[in-house]
Amino acid sequence: MTTYIAQRLFIFFPMLFVISFLVYSGLELSPGDAVSHMISPELASTITAEQLDAMREAYGLNQSFITRYWIWLTSMVQGDMGYSMAGGVAISTIMAKTVPATLELSLVALFFSTILGCSLGVISALKRGSGTDNSLTVAGMAGVSIPEFFFGLVAILLFAIELKWLPVGGRLMPHYETVWDRIPNIVLPSLVLALMMTAGAMRYARSSMLDVLAREFITTARSKGMPEWRVNILHGFRVALTPVVVLIGFRLPLLIGGSTIIEQVYQWPGIGSMFIRSVRGSDYPLVMTISLMYVFVVLTASLVIDVLTALIDPRVRLGKN
Amino acid sequence: MTDKNNIALSVKNLKTFFYTNNRCNKAVNGVSFDVEKGKTLCIVGESGCGKSVTAATIMQLLPTLSRIEEGEIIFRKDDKTVNIEKLEKNGKEMRNIRGSDIAMIFQDPMTALNPVYTVGFQISENLKYHTSLNRKEIREKSISLLNDMGIPLPEKRVDEYPHSYSGGMRQRAMIAMAMACNPKILIADEPTTALDVTIQAQIFELMEKLKEENDTAIILITHDMGVVAELADNVAVMYMGNIVEAGTADDVLRRPTHPYTKALLESVPVLGRGKNQDINPIKGSTPDPYNRPIGCQFAPRCNWQTESCDVMPEIIQINKTHEIRCHKYEQFFEKYNEKRDS
Repeated sequence: MTTYIAQRLFIFFPMLFVISFLVYSGLELSPGDAVSHMISPELASTITAEQLDAMREAYGLNQSFITRYWIWLTSMVQGDMGYSMAGGVAISTIMAKTVPATLELSLVALFFSTILGCSLGVISALKRGSGTDNSLTVAGMAGVSIPEFFFGLVAILLFAIELKWLPVGGRLMPHYETVWDRIPNIVLPSLVLALMMTAGAMRYARSSMLDVLAREFITTARSKGMPEWRVNILHGFRVALTPVVVLIGFRLPLLIGGSTIIEQVYQWPGIGSMFIRSVRGSDYPLVMTISLMYVFVVLTASLVIDVLTALIDPRVRLGKN
Repeated sequence: MTDKNNIALSVKNLKTFFYTNNRCNKAVNGVSFDVEKGKTLCIVGESGCGKSVTAATIMQLLPTLSRIEEGEIIFRKDDKTVNIEKLEKNGKEMRNIRGSDIAMIFQDPMTALNPVYTVGFQISENLKYHTSLNRKEIREKSISLLNDMGIPLPEKRVDEYPHSYSGGMRQRAMIAMAMACNPKILIADEPTTALDVTIQAQIFELMEKLKEENDTAIILITHDMGVVAELADNVAVMYMGNIVEAGTADDVLRRPTHPYTKALLESVPVLGRGKNQDINPIKGSTPDPYNRPIGCQFAPRCNWQTESCDVMPEIIQINKTHEIRCHKYEQFFEKYNEKRDS
């Protein structure tokens, strides 16, 4: 097991390095540079080419692509994320403010969607062909196909404006002191965010479970006189879980991507809204840092999945060396 | 026929039907047999004849779209008798019988063991539900069971997963699991079909040994005539959901009387006779279960078919142990007697 994790870690860092290079190159290819966005349109006509070059030199933008990449990479590794071009705030400060908000939202959504998705999927599989199964199937299809911002708006309309049960949006209010004060704010965005993934996980858990229930070892378990719950959960669900964990892991980046939209809908001060703002303003250092963070999250997620599947399924542990 | 006290299980006029797409497949259509304590009953027949369904019916392990339509399955335990067909499918009473009184081993040990649990865990489950042993005793018992099955280093092997066992070892582990609670009846559904021949012999030896030591009745489902010749005390030949011929191994193998049994035996190549031996495959193929012939099910493929075969023949007792479902049996039986006399 230790070797297995070490192997995964061994490919983790080279991957991160390669992707960081790709992200940097991608941004290099985008039209215009940082300087062209720093000058307001009114000033653009009065400014001379020499002045622009001077500005580029001041920011080090006249250096070659590789040199700039190297400087960025080395400072990044040392923990220096640089400064946002809009407002000059240290990126580390921005991240410290926004990352916890997004993590909070995504993790709560992940938690809900995993538990709900798996249990509904299992119920659906066990009651295959029944009314429960059919209505869950329809709900699942709806959940997968209707975009989440739509759900977000409908939920606001219904629960916040009509019924007035929950706040419309926001995360922290000045008078909030305990965790309990904050819970009403996270309910709507996290549930809406969880909805789509719940539907996916449910469909997947259902088919995986049906697949496993038809396997011979289920009959073996039954032939030993085990009660049905043990046959279905211990022997069935445990085996059906592996593909579901992989799916949820691969959906993790989608969850963060989805949170970008939900953060907009619910005025959630997370990294998603910050990302949109930074892309609009061509705030390159911030875009780079956030992209790299997304990459890091995706890679970490797949590392976690690898470890989890190995824990769940002993056959994975063997692997090829 | 035999002493009543010696019978572990008797099946009477059992009918199990499958319902799919509004059609009914009479997979087991009136099967009766007795299994004696410490004896092996072999159920033989080609694929789709209902052998496995019969086995699954005894354990009530039928899929959802099938049900026991008629008949009785009477299990005798000590002095009590239990009508298995009356028990709730996955109810408590049925579960208490499964695994402890009647155990089953399956065709493919590669798929019959759960890949995510250790072999020890899977054996211990059986002991946990059917005995009052504590954790430590269960573990010791699991190890000793594996040891009995001839698995080397059982203390180490008990904590390994099925994927690190070979096919033969997995089937041994399956048998260890089935034998954990000393069942009265062991149902083996083609236990060696997925194994190679050398392993087959070892598995059968093991089953023979268990039968003698524990007085377990064995129902062995197979289509391998060699296995039948070697292991069976009694043989039942099935065709299209019916037993067409039944009797002691001697009766059925040495004096096969039903045309189907004869044809089945003639279609088996015999080792040592060289490659020019006469193998007569049975002509035609098994009829569509949804479009069965009227009367004797074998009639369309039978060389001796006459008009009388349009009516389903009744069971005819040839002698004390030998019974057959054929209108023309006298003819064959006489022929056989002539042969013996000359």
